[in-house]
Amino acid sequence: MAHLMPKRRLENIGLSITGLCVALVALVVVTLIFMVAQQGLTTFFVDGVNPIEFLFGQNWIPEQERYGALPMIVGSFSVTLLSTLFALPIAIGSAIFVVEVAPGFGRRVFQPFIELLVGIPSVVYGVLGLYVINSLIKAIFGEAAPTGAGILSGSIVLAIMILPTITTLSMDALRAVPNQYREGSYALGCTRWQTTWHVVLKSALPSLMTAVILGMTRAFGETLAVQMVIGGVERSMPTGLLDPASTLTAALTAGLSNATSGSVYYHALWSLGLILLVMSLVFIMIIHLIGRKGAKANG
Amino acid sequence: MSDLSRRQFLGLTGAVAAVAGLGLAGCGSTTEPSGDDATSTLTGSISCSGATSFQPLVEKASDAFCEANPDVSIAIAAGGSGQGLSQIAEGSVQIGRSDVYAETKLEPEQCEGLVDNQVCIVGMGPIVNAGVDVDDLTLDQLKGIFLGQITDWSEVGGTAGAIQVIQREAGSGTRATFEDAVLAGEAAPDSFRPVAEVDSSGTVVEQVAATEGSISYVAFNYMEGDGIKALTVDGVEPTQENVESGDFTIWAYEHMYTREDEDESTAPVTKAFIEFMMSDDFAATVVEEGFIPMGNMKVKKDADGTISAA
Repeated sequence: MAHLMPKRRLENIGLSITGLCVALVALVVVTLIFMVAQQGLTTFFVDGVNPIEFLFGQNWIPEQERYGALPMIVGSFSVTLLSTLFALPIAIGSAIFVVEVAPGFGRRVFQPFIELLVGIPSVVYGVLGLYVINSLIKAIFGEAAPTGAGILSGSIVLAIMILPTITTLSMDALRAVPNQYREGSYALGCTRWQTTWHVVLKSALPSLMTAVILGMTRAFGETLAVQMVIGGVERSMPTGLLDPASTLTAALTAGLSNATSGSVYYHALWSLGLILLVMSLVFIMIIHLIGRKGAKANG
Repeated sequence: MSDLSRRQFLGLTGAVAAVAGLGLAGCGSTTEPSGDDATSTLTGSISCSGATSFQPLVEKASDAFCEANPDVSIAIAAGGSGQGLSQIAEGSVQIGRSDVYAETKLEPEQCEGLVDNQVCIVGMGPIVNAGVDVDDLTLDQLKGIFLGQITDWSEVGGTAGAIQVIQREAGSGTRATFEDAVLAGEAAPDSFRPVAEVDSSGTVVEQVAATEGSISYVAFNYMEGDGIKALTVDGVEPTQENVESGDFTIWAYEHMYTREDEDESTAPVTKAFIEFMMSDDFAATVVEEGFIPMGNMKVKKDADGTISAA
């Protein structure tokens, strides 16, 4: 049917529709960055909060007009790093098993199973964390963790949440390693474990790194589940893993309903959003850098 | 030209219209001016946003009010006191609910033209984990605990054990009320860390019930529950009568802010609704929901927290 239409017109229509889509996405991204930056920078340029004090101040006490974001920055980074540390060995381990050892089982049973985990809403993880992880931490550490809420609980919940992300991406990374590499290794007399360790993992390293960073990005941006289990204490620096703390995202959500628009507190919350935005840009840049390096290494 | 290309053209314009429509939908809901205000039947729709603490009460009032005035619709949104105050200051809603005086959150110039309707009173008091063997604290002891000076139950007459302070989040209306009444202007030192800062009264109750040696504070209507115990303050029980007589000092007004310059199309509805909320007919529901009607108060509190005879 389409042959009834002049070719040039069809081309133009296609071009304008797809172009419009691109323009729309670009517009949304640019507007978003502009808005967050504008509101977030107001704190420093209009309200006169010192940006150094904002980034490195150790106390976030809005009622005293003290806006030091370091407790939340430390909170966000520690839960992100710890959860990655917890999740990574398990994710890579299970990826190796289902790709290298039991591919049939991996495709038929494990993959759907892990995909199910991705689909669970974060509030479910939060409830689970609140009633299971927090009680567990409380039972184990007793007096040292009176409510069980803290960085450790937050990290464990996040580790469970990012596990499927890292596992699925690691599985894809291992599957993408050409079979000739494995066959070459076997031909040299290597065992399966030697092949996996020295050949497969090594050549999949850049993609595995991407998997890790994407997992970290998810952990860094997760709000609800962490907020429920971490304790939400923003006013001063956490001093240990069992200490209740807060993250950038949690502080932002908790604060927004109480801040009146236009107030310094409100702008300071936007500044937290700006930090989050900048951090996710950094994460994405790292992914691109790894991708480029990987492409170079593999020719 | 074939009809196919026309169809494709229609598809494209349809897509463009859909995108444009997204922008239009937001501003399509203008209220119809009622025309004649002289008639007794009220018409119009108003919106009310803000504090969640007495939202259930406002919803009940709205249900009853709309039943009596079928041509009225009231949209009730949550968002917190901060949102309620911002939105009434901008004039984007007709009623802004708040747990605190507008002056404490808004700039003086934003407060101009706002009308403070104090519709009811909420009393708050300290609660502890049921395992704590202390039943009464003086206001000074409470102050010491929430400033981090008193850290063990043995210092206030209980069995030795660490006091675990659970706070509401910074900016919470409940917290502001409690701190105004208890801390009297003093602030906890930077080194003081509560074991948790939670963002709703329901969660406070859960956490206090689950945490040994914990203390926190909630509104009267949250004080019943397994695993928690309400304390008396200076020997005074946290009850409606004691708040009304002025003996119990931890309480605050629930405010419904309106604008002086409200549009004529909605002003009668707003006024009638607030009058209804404060009416004697509705007072029973106010008490039922755990709040205290304005009617019997023998004392009043100003924005600085000073209490005087009404």
